[in-house]
Amino acid sequence: MFTRAFRYERAERYSDACDLLREHGDEAKVIAGGQSLLPMINLGLVQPGLVVDISRLAEGRELTVTGDGYLVLGALVTHARLAADAAARAAQPLLPAAAGQIGNTRVRNRGTLGGSLAHGDPAAELPLVMVALGATYEVTTGHASREIRAEDFHLGFFTTGLDDDELIASVRAPVLGPGWGWSFQEVARRDGDFAMASAAALIRSADGLIIESRVAVGGVSDRPVRLADVETALTGCAVADLAERVGPIQGISPADDTSASARYRARLARVLVLRALAEAAGRAEEAA
Amino acid sequence: MSETVTVTLVVNGRPVTRAAGAHLTLLRWLRDEAGVTDPKYGCGEGICGACTVLVDGEPVSACIVLAAQVDGAEVTTAAGLLDRDGSLGPLQRAFHEHHAAQCGFCTPGMLMAAAALLSGGRPASREEIRAALHGNLCRCTGYGPIVDAVEAAQVEATQVEAAQVEAAQQGQRR
Repeated sequence: MFTRAFRYERAERYSDACDLLREHGDEAKVIAGGQSLLPMINLGLVQPGLVVDISRLAEGRELTVTGDGYLVLGALVTHARLAADAAARAAQPLLPAAAGQIGNTRVRNRGTLGGSLAHGDPAAELPLVMVALGATYEVTTGHASREIRAEDFHLGFFTTGLDDDELIASVRAPVLGPGWGWSFQEVARRDGDFAMASAAALIRSADGLIIESRVAVGGVSDRPVRLADVETALTGCAVADLAERVGPIQGISPADDTSASARYRARLARVLVLRALAEAAGRAEEAA
Repeated sequence: MSETVTVTLVVNGRPVTRAAGAHLTLLRWLRDEAGVTDPKYGCGEGICGACTVLVDGEPVSACIVLAAQVDGAEVTTAAGLLDRDGSLGPLQRAFHEHHAAQCGFCTPGMLMAAAALLSGGRPASREEIRAALHGNLCRCTGYGPIVDAVEAAQVEATQVEAAQVEAAQQGQRR
């Protein structure tokens, strides 16, 4: 609670914030909702010399569905807004469902999409669903911007592809196509706590056969992991048989900690993938 | 760029302006600068809910929001739930009558989480009340009496509203 003093600057636009980041380097930290940064400051894990506040930018609040089938979200959209927004729920229900699972009401009221993605917590909900969806992030220096795929952005434990003077400006996620079903699953020790494991699945099926799927797991590696081998194994498989096609989850490296052992996490990941697939398949049948 | 910022907040209806450290959380600003001590410091991580206050009507963890970030906002703490004459408001009275506080440390935050729920206007089920309070930890009561109190306050609010509507209708008939 007795944090060291720091300087504070409220940015009016991305370019101001990015200029400050470039000028002050490692000493500077960006704050939007502050729901990850301030706990870290309170715990003494971070001691910034300068905090650059982007929570009041005029930019970054868009939430639109484009004509070519994407849900575009500004980085400052809060989890509460994303979870409740009728247009987002209709366009891509996986995203609002995941946003509604984050922390508690207070976290969701302040926490932002860009903040959660840039923080890069391997157990976080939004990076997982972005990887599952194949979303792209628009990152900006305020002067120039580039696009980066979610899978390429999340590099490891709290590590992302953002340069020191870059911020996420917006996210572009494909809307749920016709005939697709979706599911988000997570298990935590306590409601609102960090997930011990989580899974997101999207399935397109017809006549009881899986045509396409997208599956990813969270909380069991240093980043969200897309399960390409599971997706391949499911193609053409009967919905009724999908549990037989999913063996132990490959390509993950769960950790031991106070809430679960690595072995338990690995087993839980498979259980959650199966639950997610079953629910997504059910929804795909309804949608067909 | 300064380590000191001047922040004005309307705290429980009263405008307060203080020049203080930019690093102060809303909780520290309220307690140490503005002398509003009903929100409590529990975990410092936004988990326990003892510091819950309403910022422009929405519940937030005051321990993980910078005061400077919410400059200009209306902040409501548990003291803002008192009736105008300084007696307990309906929600506070319900907590009192249902023994919903033991050590009392979580109570100011519980009250604000409950106040945010009740301000939604729609009657909440017992399950919805539990869901709305899930981010507020209590280590004494076992939660039952707290849920009872919120339910009772909600019933009372509905009855008061019904009485007001009836009175208004009778007035029209006359």
